[in-house]
Order: sequence, then structure tokens, then C-alpha cells
Amino acid sequence: MPKSSLYLLLSGLFVLAVLASLSSGGRSDVGLNELFGVFNGSNSALANTVMIDIRLPRTVCAALIGICLGLSGLILQAVTRNPLASPSILGINQGAALGLVATLVFPQAAAIGVGFLSVTGAIVAGGLTFIIAGGLQGKLNSLRLILGGITVGAFAYAFARFALTLDDDVASAVLQWSAGNVGDVRWPDAQLLIGWSVLGMVITLLLSHRFNLLALGDSSAQGLGADPRVTLLIGTLLAAVLAGVCVSIAGPIAFVGIVIPHVCRYLFGLDYRVLVGAVSLTGATLMVIGDALSKWMGGPSEMPIGVVVALIGAPYFLYQTFMEKDLG
Amino acid sequence: MLFKKVGHCLVVGVISMLSLPVFSAVIEHELGSTQVPDSPQRIVVLEFSFVDALAAVNVAPVGLADDNKPERIVAAYRKIIGSDWISVGTRKTPSLELTASLKPDLIIADKKRHSAAYATLSEIAPTIVLDSLVGDYPAAVKQMSVIGNALGKEEEMEQRITEHKAKIAAYAETFKALSDGMYVQFATARASRLTLHSASSYNGSLLNAFGFSSKLNPTDGDARANFYVPTTLEQLSELNPEVLILGNYADVTIIDQWKNEALYQNLSAVKAGKVFHVDAHSWSRLRGMVAAESTAEDLSAIMKKISAKK
Repeated sequence: MPKSSLYLLLSGLFVLAVLASLSSGGRSDVGLNELFGVFNGSNSALANTVMIDIRLPRTVCAALIGICLGLSGLILQAVTRNPLASPSILGINQGAALGLVATLVFPQAAAIGVGFLSVTGAIVAGGLTFIIAGGLQGKLNSLRLILGGITVGAFAYAFARFALTLDDDVASAVLQWSAGNVGDVRWPDAQLLIGWSVLGMVITLLLSHRFNLLALGDSSAQGLGADPRVTLLIGTLLAAVLAGVCVSIAGPIAFVGIVIPHVCRYLFGLDYRVLVGAVSLTGATLMVIGDALSKWMGGPSEMPIGVVVALIGAPYFLYQTFMEKDLG
Repeated sequence: MLFKKVGHCLVVGVISMLSLPVFSAVIEHELGSTQVPDSPQRIVVLEFSFVDALAAVNVAPVGLADDNKPERIVAAYRKIIGSDWISVGTRKTPSLELTASLKPDLIIADKKRHSAAYATLSEIAPTIVLDSLVGDYPAAVKQMSVIGNALGKEEEMEQRITEHKAKIAAYAETFKALSDGMYVQFATARASRLTLHSASSYNGSLLNAFGFSSKLNPTDGDARANFYVPTTLEQLSELNPEVLILGNYADVTIIDQWKNEALYQNLSAVKAGKVFHVDAHSWSRLRGMVAAESTAEDLSAIMKKISAKK
């Protein structure tokens, strides 16, 4: 299929998902009609506030989290040249989770800022994984990278889960948050994500040429004037920040970071300059579909989006695993 | 010589029979049936609703799970059971060692929290397991009878239940002029979550017993999610309760985030100034007759405020 029709198809799917997400929610009297009512002024004040203050920021957040997590996975897979790399497999999501749990267990820590602690947790966890994999020598060992990531992730998550044994209130806060949820996001969250996802797309686009060179091998990249260590450092930092920001807003959402780059490489080829846009569009689409489904599934309360996306992502990943002849 | 031996055996036998508890009643509970002593003296309870049951018939437990926070045993209970209990730790993970060291002759445990420890608890003392987490107010009152039997105070408990029912009915009668059919919603508020207690929950069905109504009647299955429903602002606005009773579990709650939003300000309860705060602990964690009567007092105060507004 030519790329232009692929883009068209994905964009169509994205628009449909946005419509589905915006036209459903807690109030059954606010639906598709009210969505159009926002534009032609036929709405009650209540319908408008539901659309503009509650549903729109939520859908926007879902889409932007899809972009950030997709890019984070793409960058990590590029700098490690490892198709298994993703924020959750390298322990970055769990590091961010630990940072966030710290604010739930120690309310004093919340004063530092939930976002700051999550991002710090993500960077520290990512850094540790890369050090274990031999990053300080500038040469990453694939197997050590994955094993290091699993170790760091398990270690961080063990601490986060320790909070479950604490007081009921803390435990339920941790549990609620660890499902991955965008049910209560508002415009300030969306603004933060808009900033980071735009910055993320721009920097990833700027790095995409370096990623292409890196794909040829460390020495070729070096020979062509792109120091792999610089690419690795900037890329990993950016990937950790993007994942950390998402975790601080919605909790850990798995599979987007690993599945989306794979889907896009399959659909759009290996050129990272193309993949940046493709991953952003596909990631946003998957998350908005997840958001729409999360409003329909469950009941009486909603199904957390993290659960829905995992329900879509896991079977696809399994399919990919069976179809792939050589996973590198 | 032989007589001496026989006599010795007899004496030992009589002494050991005296020191053994006399087992009489067999109590049917969530995990089967347990033979309990005739009138247990050293009781350990692992949930607050069982403290309530003991208090209802003036029995003080030797040990209880107070979450290591003695203040969680509220004044209404202390008035009856005193303050001399030994804490066996948290309700979630009570210390089995401490429990054993108290040499109890009856343990009352919760189905959700303590089923896994049932075998161990049973080795320590006869244990009955009841559901203290889900189930509604009528079920909680029924449980009182079971505990009354286990305590060997069947008649006393039945009498207390009759008194209690009369009390609640009297409250319902006084509320009637204002309350008839009014939708009152109780919810607990945490930093990032509002949880509504549905009509089938303990608090929801208690409000129902007072004559209030509820629009939150989820019916699929027996899942916990049907009793305690995490809610978004949009869902709350759809339910739109006439009176909203909030129990805060944190100093700053999600309501503080919502209160500047148009959708929240548009709620009937908010517009009419009918949002009231109660103690989350005594409404949400406690259940039983003593607790229900203290809830009734809170409601009475709320209804007075509402009638003053009219």
C-alpha cells in the first residue's frame, strides 16, 4: 500500500476514534449531537462544559500520551538497535512509577512535584539500565541491556509494590494509580503533554538522521560524523523524560512504547525520518481508541485505559512474536 | 496402690475437665462451622464491625486489630469496651503471634482479609469468619445475631437488635417530612478519587433504611466494584444527588480540584448548599448497630441544617 493511502487510512481511523471518545463518557445526555453543538452553538452550557472542560482534555491527553510513549519506544529501539527496547522493558516506566509512589507514601515528597519525581525516577532507572548494559564504555550489549532493564524494573516495581502492604489508604491509591488511567485529567495536564510531545517530536526529528546512521552500526555512524555516544545520551534522556511525564499524568501504560514502533516499521519501513510522524499518528490513534473503549467497557465505573491498551497490545505483540522469523 | 492410682487419675481428669472450655454452640460461618466455647471470655476480633458487635452486648475483647492506631476505636466503642485492649496490629495483616500470646478462646475474622490465615487462626482458638467488607446494612445486622450466638449471649443480642431497629425506625420517622424519596449520596474522597457507596453497599442500604433513595444501583454480579464505585465528575453530574455527604480521607481531596469547575458547581447538592462532611472513618470503616446509631445522629444534624435552609 502506498504511504499516502496509509496515512489517509490512519488519519481516518484517528478521527473516528476521536469522535467515539468525545461522544461518550459519564453523561448519557451528552453525545455526538452535543459534540457538533459545540460548533453550531446549539448546546446548553452544561453540554459545552462537559465537552470542552472534561472530555476534550481527556481525549487530547490520551492522544499525546500515545505520541510520547510511541516516540519514547522508537528512540530507545533506535539507540539500542534492539527491537525489544521500550520504556517498560528498560525499567524506565517502573522507575517513574517508583518516583510517583514516593509522593503517595510520603506526602512531604509531593511538594517537590509529582512530575519532577517521576521524570527523575525514569532517568535514574534508564541510566542504571544503560550502565549495566555497558553504556559507560559506549558499547551496549543487547542481552545485558534487556536483562539489566528487567532487573532495574523489577527492583523499582518491588519497592513500588511494597507500598501495597502499607496502610489501606496508601495501598488503594497505589493500586488505583498503577492501572494507568486518564479519567480525571484536565487542561493543565494536557498543556504539559502538548509541550513535551511537540518538543519530543522536534528533537526526535532532529535526531532521526543520526538514528538512521546508527542503524548501520556504531563504527559506520562514527565514521559518518555522528558520535553514537552523543546520540545514545540525548536519545535516552529524551525517552526517559517523555515516559516519565506520561507516568506522572496517567500512570504506567505498557505496550504502546513497544508495539507502536513495530507496527510502524512494518507499515512504513525503516527510515526514522518517516517513522517519527508515523509513530506519532499511530500511537495517538491506539491510545484514543483505548480511551473510547475504556468508557464503554467495565461498569458501573470505567475500565482504566492502561488495561484496555494492554488488552489490545498484548495479543498483537504475541502475533508479532510468532510471525517474526528473526527477532535479532 | 491401685486405688491411689485410680484416685490420682480421677483428680487429674476432673481438673483437666474443669480447665478445658466447655464447647457447646456450633456456629455456621463463611468458611464452614466451628464449635465455640459456651461463654468465651478471651475474644480477639480482627475487624471493626466485630468490635461493634461486642460493644452492642457489653463485651470487651482482650485483643483487637486497631491498625496500630488506637484512635480508630472511636469514643462510642470505648465507652463500652474501655481502653484496655491489646492491639494485634493491622486489620490487613494482624500479628498471629500476638494473637496466640493472648490465649484467646474465640477469634472473629473477616472473610476477605483473613481467609488465608483461617487454618492458623483455628489452631490458636476456635475461629469464625464473617464478611465485613461487602454486604449491606441488613446483612450486617444479621451478622450480629451470629456473633451473639458465638458469644453465648443470644437473648441479649436479640434484645439489642430489637431496640436498634426501633431506634432506626424512629429516626426514619423524624426524617420523613424532609427525606421522603430524597436522593442522598455518600462518598469517600481521597486525593485523586471519589468513591460512591452504591445502594447495595452498607452505607447506601443504611441511608435507604432511613427513607432516602439512591440512583446508583449497579446490579451485575457481586463484585466489590458494585458497592464502592470510583467516579468521574461527569458520572457524578449525571447521578446528580440532592444531598452529597462526603467523608474525607485526605486533607486535600479531588473535590478541591473539582470545586472550581462548572460541572461541579452545577450539581443540585452544590447549588442548594447541601454538601455535608462527616467523619470518613466512622461512616466508611465502621459498621454495625453502634456505628449505625452514630450515623443516625450525624444524619439528624444534617437534616436539621437542611430544614433550617427551607
